[in-house]
Amino acid sequence: MPIHEKSLIRPENLVTHDHLVIDGMDVSGHWSTFIEGRSITDYNENLQEEIAALPGGENIHRCWQCGSCTNACTVNAINPEFNPRYWIYLIRLGMEDELLRDKDIIWQCVSCNKCTYACPRDVAPEGVMKATAHWLELKGHTPKSPSTIFDEGFSAQVFQRGKIEDGLVLRNFLQDTGQPLRQPWLETMVLGLIRRFPVFYLIRLGLSTVFRPKTRGWGRARAAINEYVHEVEATNRKALGLDAKGAE
Amino acid sequence: MTKPVLIIGGGPAGLSAAHALASAGRKAVLVEKEAILGGAPILSGYAKLVPSHEWAKDAIGGMVNRVVSNPSVEVKVNSTVQAFTGTPGNFVATLKDGSTVEAETAILATGFTHFDPINKPGWGFGTYPDVVTTTMVEQMISSGKGVRCPSDGRVPDRVAILLCAGSRDRQIGREWCSKICCTVSANLAMEIREMSPKTNVYIYYMDIRTFGLYEGEYYWGSQENFKVKYVKARIAEVTSNGNRLLVKGEDTLVKRPISIPFDMVVHAVGMDPNVDNMTISAVFGVDLNRWGYIGKQTTYAHLAETSRPGVFTCGAASGPETIDDSIAQGHAAAMAAMNFAGMAVRAAAE
Repeated sequence: MPIHEKSLIRPENLVTHDHLVIDGMDVSGHWSTFIEGRSITDYNENLQEEIAALPGGENIHRCWQCGSCTNACTVNAINPEFNPRYWIYLIRLGMEDELLRDKDIIWQCVSCNKCTYACPRDVAPEGVMKATAHWLELKGHTPKSPSTIFDEGFSAQVFQRGKIEDGLVLRNFLQDTGQPLRQPWLETMVLGLIRRFPVFYLIRLGLSTVFRPKTRGWGRARAAINEYVHEVEATNRKALGLDAKGAE
Repeated sequence: MTKPVLIIGGGPAGLSAAHALASAGRKAVLVEKEAILGGAPILSGYAKLVPSHEWAKDAIGGMVNRVVSNPSVEVKVNSTVQAFTGTPGNFVATLKDGSTVEAETAILATGFTHFDPINKPGWGFGTYPDVVTTTMVEQMISSGKGVRCPSDGRVPDRVAILLCAGSRDRQIGREWCSKICCTVSANLAMEIREMSPKTNVYIYYMDIRTFGLYEGEYYWGSQENFKVKYVKARIAEVTSNGNRLLVKGEDTLVKRPISIPFDMVVHAVGMDPNVDNMTISAVFGVDLNRWGYIGKQTTYAHLAETSRPGVFTCGAASGPETIDDSIAQGHAAAMAAMNFAGMAVRAAAE
């Protein structure tokens, strides 16, 4: 749905007084219904700079609001509320409250990059969506998404040992997302493995749950990666005016 | 001996006509109302010109110098034409001081008058000291003092440039597009950002008409290199919330009423017909067009003809015009004047 076909009246802006008398005239109930003004008076002047400071958002200032991104968008075709052009515009003008109203759908970007190819100005809207989702998370507006939780658990193991142990990745993910460890699909898979896998592999799998697999001589790589991750995290947080905090 | 060509107006168009005539071995008399030559770019103190980025006083000053130092051109400043009689080839102009000039033909290079935004009262000019015009910003830059709020001399945090002040506005009788204000505003926005990177510049527009080759350097360049923000909006009024200016209007892209605080609001003023055009029309016996500029007879056959044979026009006298096109038209008017004189000589010889 193009912006101009969006309803301009939000339900929370409709006000009705159950009991209201004006100049002796009883206008209780729907007689007193009015719509609150839509004027914005509060702007976050730095919003564009904050998004531009995060990876992917660098080119946001090039947007001239043509709408090619929204027209090309895969998600928009399914959910008309998903409107990259609209959000880019809000960010550029600093309408933070307006942006936050859509915080629960901005992360739905599937990164198909059709907008990236459609954009005549090299804004890279897909990157802007990524940066915006990241911004929402860093500012604490949205909880971590399941995929972020998975990515963090996965990365933590790689950073630590250079390798992952599938069982641990899975267990941590289920724990961190508050899901029971006993999943029917998981049991089916494990039983299937036990039945079909050569014994040698099963022993290796079992051993690796005790002795975690590790890349030889990983220490230096680990130090370098941790340093880089800390650095990026600190830069991002500083750009958003947040306290310094180490990588998780 | 042939009589000179009378040129009225010493701006870019008149200077270029004078130079062209002198270069072709003809004599010209240049009559200028003000005390100095150079026209709007000099008189109004423009800063750097579009598209060359030369300072106006250098670029137009150079044109002035080569005309003043040319023995074929007689310059009369502080002077206006009071009466203009005779026939093509034998015109007589009476100047303010009573002297007369005999001329073969005349070229009206009388230019325009900046729109006075007092005629757009809702936009706050004249009411609030920090509502200024693009001309005033040009002067702030060319004077070297930098862009400051006139009320207290502070460097503004937020500047709004409102396009189409006195252009494309039927409400106040100005239907024309003044052509150059979009580009000039983008240029000023970049200069403001360059001088004071902490100042955010917003341009409120209904359409952006950085025509021709100006699109890339000015419209795109101001966004890509200077992060100037463009907002498609209709501005209803400029008021104040007591300590800052408040721009109110409708954001036409997201269909939302806006009410935005600013430290300085700049009117991108357009080009009105010269305020003296009624007098010029009466004195020279030329028709004005329906907008009040000096009317042209043809679009293609002869560029410079007015309704009176032997009287030509060029530059912004006949409608909003850029400096470079005014200069080209000055050459064209000079050519038309020489051609016209040549025809009279040939007719006499036959």
